Amino acid sequence: MNSLVQRFDTNNALSEIKRTSAIIEEDGDNVSDLMWGSYGGFGNLATGIPKFNIPAVPDPSAFLRLHTDDHTDPSCRIKIQHGTTTLAFRFKGGVIVAVDSRATAGSYIASGTVKKVIEINPYLLGTMAGGAADCQYWETYLGIQCRLHELRNKERISVAAASKYLSNLVYSYKGMGLSMGTMICGWDKTGPQVYYVDSDGTRLKGDLFSVGSGSTFAYGVLDQGHHWDLSDEDAQELGRRSIYAAGHRDAFSGNTINLYHVKEDGWKFIGNYDVSKMHYEGPGDIPGAPGHGYGYSIRTAGKSSADPPTS
Amino acid sequence: MDSSFAITGKGYAIVAADMTVSRSIVKMQYNEDKIKVLGSHLLMAFSGEPGDTVQFAEYVERNIRLAQIRNTYPLPPPSAASWIRRELADSLRSRSPYSVNLLVAGYDLSTHEPKLYWIDYLGTMATVPFAAHGYGSYFALSLLDRYHDPEATVEEGLATLRRCIDEVSKRLVVTPGKFKVKVVDKNGVREVEL
Amino acid sequence: MPQTRSFDPYTENGGTILAIAGQDFSVIAGDTRQSEGYSIQTRYAPKVFRLTDRAVLAVNGFAADGNMFVKKVKQRLEWYRHAHAKDMPLRAIARLIQTMLYAKRFFPYYVYNILGGIEEDGTGAVYSFDPVGSYEREACRAAGAAQSLVQPFLDNQIYFKNQVPAPGTTHPAYLSLPDVLSIVIDSFTSATERHIEVGDGLEIYIVFAKTRDLQDFETIRAKNVHLIQELTVAEDGERIFVLRRDLKKD
Repeated sequence: MNSLVQRFDTNNALSEIKRTSAIIEEDGDNVSDLMWGSYGGFGNLATGIPKFNIPAVPDPSAFLRLHTDDHTDPSCRIKIQHGTTTLAFRFKGGVIVAVDSRATAGSYIASGTVKKVIEINPYLLGTMAGGAADCQYWETYLGIQCRLHELRNKERISVAAASKYLSNLVYSYKGMGLSMGTMICGWDKTGPQVYYVDSDGTRLKGDLFSVGSGSTFAYGVLDQGHHWDLSDEDAQELGRRSIYAAGHRDAFSGNTINLYHVKEDGWKFIGNYDVSKMHYEGPGDIPGAPGHGYGYSIRTAGKSSADPPTS
Repeated sequence: MDSSFAITGKGYAIVAADMTVSRSIVKMQYNEDKIKVLGSHLLMAFSGEPGDTVQFAEYVERNIRLAQIRNTYPLPPPSAASWIRRELADSLRSRSPYSVNLLVAGYDLSTHEPKLYWIDYLGTMATVPFAAHGYGSYFALSLLDRYHDPEATVEEGLATLRRCIDEVSKRLVVTPGKFKVKVVDKNGVREVEL
Repeated sequence: MPQTRSFDPYTENGGTILAIAGQDFSVIAGDTRQSEGYSIQTRYAPKVFRLTDRAVLAVNGFAADGNMFVKKVKQRLEWYRHAHAKDMPLRAIARLIQTMLYAKRFFPYYVYNILGGIEEDGTGAVYSFDPVGSYEREACRAAGAAQSLVQPFLDNQIYFKNQVPAPGTTHPAYLSLPDVLSIVIDSFTSATERHIEVGDGLEIYIVFAKTRDLQDFETIRAKNVHLIQELTVAEDGERIFVLRRDLKKD
């Protein structure tokens, strides 16, 4: 039944791939035979959606689910990196993007140096939550398409359009096992923008998002400290403090914080901060910082709730 | 689905618990008091399996009262919390365990300081400056890491508690609704409006 | 009622791989035991492969997938050589491996890849991959059966994690080749002691930037003539060597 539906369904990924390769043939902008060797790297990606190898079984996505870790089954062989805290918010000074850097496979910390902010181009950032490869690959691919948009239209793509492109793309693979929860952030003609896009096909425009296992902890600090008129320094501090909170309370998040600030002239990398160092020492002598460690016991050292009678 | 919070401050502890009783998708009641007053200076917020909660809370209430009648003096917070924890731990190893999570807060008249204990249905106990049970804890704990002050006045403490409740109301899918708030300090127990 | 067996084309063949990047060299190593469950299939199945004079790929996981994958990467690199009359740069090989792995996103190669070698700017580099192509450049990485034994050791010895430098000193920015080789050998002898799927033989590939003075290496080489083999093809370029050692065989 499934394969029957798939054969006649014009909306699924397989037929999408077939249709695209047909278009490429017609366009004739396919590389010449003499250039076949230059396919190294992304050569093939520039010419349309790449071909994917699909197992010859009645239900390919069930096969994939059986063998890959979709967070519920830790016993499976192919572990996909999980566990994250990412956040992005809009304020008068642009967009703050902050993420942690931990990747876990079950309870093992597979990496503590993951780059979860993907630099799509000098004006667009994407964040990574869910499948690391899915986010890395498709957001790089999105970068290629954004560049092609610039070349074709002589103007930069809007954040709305870029996020819609990604959303439509992952939606065409719905049900096949992609796992992404991403924020597409940037500055275009309409000002600073943040869009949330996930592999279910959800696409939301908003002021403030947090995604990942530690998101609730980040929200707790972020919501309470956020307002539109934040200064640049205070906004950066809020992003950093919120990821610290998640790194402290969520075991699947931590190691280091990567902080970015998107302004009118593009994004800027603000810094990388060790979560443990934030706990004990804080970010150091920079504007917006509290001047001491973020840790509760550091912040409240020497304080006491005792209220002995004064005599 | 219920949420409870508690914080300590300079010479007091505040306990807050939501007031809804829900069954399946229906809110059965919205003015339930889930904070027992166990003595002149002792409070206990309880949540968990419907039925178990009230049964266990009343059992604790009567036994703490009995201890006071027998010994003239009430159990101080550390002793009360230890006894309650042990009851839960023994219950867990019985044929029908109570599934109840607790926040026990009191004012210790001998040391002049507030005491707060986080206890879960497995009999895990921790002495903490602030605590939360339920889904609310996922939002409130990071917030309290940031905003809690051990030397805050009652007004400041209530403001911090307000932040927790606001945050949960903002982000939790099933909003807990109204909260009952009780304060315990050297003068005893009182209920406050947020 | 017809019983349908689920399609299961994967197994796990044990072993461990590891790579460390130096300032102007790179070391990529792997043991040679191949096993399935408690049976040892062979004591010599290489997991580390020379791709070019400046790139070495180590593969771990499901051996059949790994061998197939290396074969296909080598084929793509040969095509590149024919088209461009030069070897593909390391960072381009890394991106190639990402796209090749991701092309099988819905039918993955069950392999963990570590790519080591020399970057175009002459620095030593290590890239590590997950089975579906997410990758990152790092200074060191262990993968495979004994990853959880070896990686913490590397974190301590390479990144100096949880180490405090002696008063008035700092941790060195780059480790010397003899130090790196000692760390690699210790990693594998220790993993062999505590992990049943690691042992038999050790192959260590060493890639040097073309500008590098090989004096320290020649000293080591002179003492281990019978263990070290040069694999360099082109002259006046990067140099590549393999050092083979025994590991315990029980």
